[in-house]
Amino acid sequence: MDYPAILLIVAACAYVAGMAGALLLRRVGRLALSVGFGLAAVGGACGFLSGVTSLATGQAAARGAVTFWSGPAPNLRLVIQADPLSCFFVTIVSMLGAAIAIYSLGYSGAYLGRKSVGLLAALYNALLLATTLTFVAGNVWVFLIAWEMMALLAYGLVTFEHEDRETRGAAVFYFIMSHIDAVCVMLGFLVLFQAAGDFSFDGLRGVGAKLSSGQRDTAFLLFVVGFGIKAGLVPLHVWLPVAHPVAPSNVSALMSGVLIKTGIYGIARVCFEFLGGPPLWWGALLLALGTVSAVLGVLYALMEHDLKRLLAYHSIENIGIIVMGLGASLMFVSTGHPVLAALALAAALYHTINHASFKGLLFLGAGSVLHATHTRNMEEMGGLVKRMPQTAMLFLLGAVAISALPPLNGFVSEWLTYQALLQGFGSTDSLLRLMFPVGGAMLALTGALAAACFVKAFGISFLAQPRSQAAERAREVPASMRLGMALLAIACLFLGLFPTVFLGWLGPVMNQLTGEALAGRLSLAGGWVLAAPGANAGSVSTAAMTLFGLSFLLVPLFLRRMLGRRAKTVRGPTWDCGLQGLTPRMEYSATGFSKPLRMIFKALFRPHREVQREYEFSPYFARSLRFESHVEEVFEERIYRPTRFWILRVSRRVRALQQGSLQVYLLYIFLTLLGLLLWAV
Amino acid sequence: MFIHDTILNRLKRGCETMDYPAGDAPALPDRHGGGLRVESARCAADCSACVSVCPTEAITRASGQAVALDLGRCLFCAECVRACPDRAITQTGDHRLAARLREDLVLGGTGKEQVRLAAALNERLRGLFGRSLKLRQVSAGGCNACEADTNVLGTIGWDLGRFGIQFVASPRHADGLLITGPVSKNMALALQKTYAAVPDPKIVIAVGACAIAGGPFVGHSQVSDGAGALVPVDLFVPGCPPHPLTILDGLLRLLDRLGGPSGKG
Repeated sequence: MDYPAILLIVAACAYVAGMAGALLLRRVGRLALSVGFGLAAVGGACGFLSGVTSLATGQAAARGAVTFWSGPAPNLRLVIQADPLSCFFVTIVSMLGAAIAIYSLGYSGAYLGRKSVGLLAALYNALLLATTLTFVAGNVWVFLIAWEMMALLAYGLVTFEHEDRETRGAAVFYFIMSHIDAVCVMLGFLVLFQAAGDFSFDGLRGVGAKLSSGQRDTAFLLFVVGFGIKAGLVPLHVWLPVAHPVAPSNVSALMSGVLIKTGIYGIARVCFEFLGGPPLWWGALLLALGTVSAVLGVLYALMEHDLKRLLAYHSIENIGIIVMGLGASLMFVSTGHPVLAALALAAALYHTINHASFKGLLFLGAGSVLHATHTRNMEEMGGLVKRMPQTAMLFLLGAVAISALPPLNGFVSEWLTYQALLQGFGSTDSLLRLMFPVGGAMLALTGALAAACFVKAFGISFLAQPRSQAAERAREVPASMRLGMALLAIACLFLGLFPTVFLGWLGPVMNQLTGEALAGRLSLAGGWVLAAPGANAGSVSTAAMTLFGLSFLLVPLFLRRMLGRRAKTVRGPTWDCGLQGLTPRMEYSATGFSKPLRMIFKALFRPHREVQREYEFSPYFARSLRFESHVEEVFEERIYRPTRFWILRVSRRVRALQQGSLQVYLLYIFLTLLGLLLWAV
Repeated sequence: MFIHDTILNRLKRGCETMDYPAGDAPALPDRHGGGLRVESARCAADCSACVSVCPTEAITRASGQAVALDLGRCLFCAECVRACPDRAITQTGDHRLAARLREDLVLGGTGKEQVRLAAALNERLRGLFGRSLKLRQVSAGGCNACEADTNVLGTIGWDLGRFGIQFVASPRHADGLLITGPVSKNMALALQKTYAAVPDPKIVIAVGACAIAGGPFVGHSQVSDGAGALVPVDLFVPGCPPHPLTILDGLLRLLDRLGGPSGKG
């Protein structure tokens, strides 16, 4: 019996039940909340178990597509296919879905009596179902329907707090962008269909060989644009930092953790399985886009003092890192290095699940802060580590993980990415090989900047004194919210400390996409040491690092016990240079913290700064002072705004056709008919 | 090149740090009369010529008793030396003036003709600070004269660092405070907080008439009349300002580091 497959069906049923239950009980908010999110958590847990056991036992690789409903036409069948790649992404969505559902039990309580919590829970269940369906779709029809459902449901969730003008604007922007991406993806599949004549994924496998190179490149570019918008690749990213922050935080976590990963899934599925045999420039293009996304994402994140926008920009950065891995892998496929291709792909997929776990954790942490302080502005936070210590510790763990510091999971996947990139230089004679070391250097820059950014995010938000009354009154969030975060923190720890175990589970996925499972080639010393394949490759052991670090922690403890037995401890206030007490106004602000980087990268940020002083005798004793500083968002100002301007201008011209007079419309019909007749003749 | 020139210049000029305390102490300048000596036995019975000329009321004489000169309040203007008809108050030309106790600075009466010089710290503190004493300077309303003379000790001629004595930026790193100025009301809290921030055990050194007793500002409503009102003082270095040699003598006396010939007595 294929128990994991049954579990997956149970999960889908739980989502459907959760959706129906929440809608039926929507009048009783508290009950709808418990039933809706409770069933979502159950569904997520089942999906997670199903995904992990499918991969761990290797059952996924042996599975074929299953037709649930034969439909009216051969291409309109409901075909489900849970192969290793699907199972891997199902694991991610289910893990995050379950953790966020538990978190939502507490978080959504704040909406009770104000908004329809039942609707929120129902949409959440539906979104989980749609996302899972996207990953297990077995033909294009199911995939596109699930894709569209996902976009629409996400739009519904983004716009949940629609009373806010900003939210409505952001939701519409997201709606437009996700439809541009749906159109591109659809067109891409149509190009493939021309050659395959079949819409099932089985039929599309290896279809690239039947296409002319022009068609292949067209399809590739359409998919890159379509999936790139969904994933948030620069320069298609602009919707992401707008839409993610305004959604309820549990939804933001799901969107940043999973929804943008559907783009990664799409690229992996299409480029490796369908298009096959890629020319070198495909991988190079992806590597370049990934590098640019990583660096620009983290740079813009540094300039943010809206905590959720900051995290949203970090999603762009991490998607960049993932796409760097995918691009490198594609380059290795085209140069005929299956082992390196599998390594780069493993790095990309590892970072995918890592990003889901730590970004989910961080967004939930930001949601907890928002829940406690009712603000997203970091300049109004501070001192939260004393008021919500557990949330602070969990957020800190996520921050360490996303900054790629050992021994947590971000370090492992970025280390794998480095290993793949550094070995890439010798893999080809083409000049494009220069992209590998450049990409590696940019990845190093990204890591350093990310660490700086999270020093800022954690330091300004959680440390020192509260900067506002709201922050001063903040209290620790309910246990369910902390539990949701703790589950993701455990995932971060597991993925960080036991990488070889997880890479073993990834084997079937790599085997499916590159034909190389790397089985046993990534672990040394019984799995305690992670080693990259290759002559000059490195090895690392996060578990040993942890033990080493802990034993170093013992030294001062030991010395303190031995030498400090007679010493007495005196607790005093923080040294304040003899002032009459420290006030929040003396604290480092988020804007001040990032100023050096704003100056270094001023060619990109084009910072604008305005200071107005009113004084009587000397500018040092100002009566009033006004300071304003902002950075230019290059892509919005230089690309999107002009585009929007031209679209509106053309639309205004075209509107002249709409006269509102029946005679004119009859004339249009007549002229069209005439034209068609002439064309037919 | 600047660095090259500097190094060459330094090599050419050789060691410019003074021999003191191993050798002789440098001479005080002509206008500096050194310490004061009060021989009240010489005083005429009802003479109070010195009392009225003292600008800081450092000299008192209760009727029928010996004259008393408080070096802690003294500005060393020598008006009293000139005013005394009986040469009872004289300048000694001696730079050694620092004392451990406030009353040791009060001259007059038999056996108290001169300042009773400071004794060393106890053995435990000498063990802790003898070869490494880090001080935090607090200018509590000082006029910068005492601060400047303290600063001179850091120059190559004096090189305070060779005794292991250094000024540090944070009281958390310090073993003690060196206070100048009369401790104005606005600096009182800062002084107390700085004192509290220094880890135990700690010492306090008051440099200059202001820090000892308020100096020319004594009795003013906006000053605390010296550091002693707020923190316990372990060493008083009188003067307005004290000569760097006087300060150095006081510091070395406290640490029992005066081995040379000028250390005796």
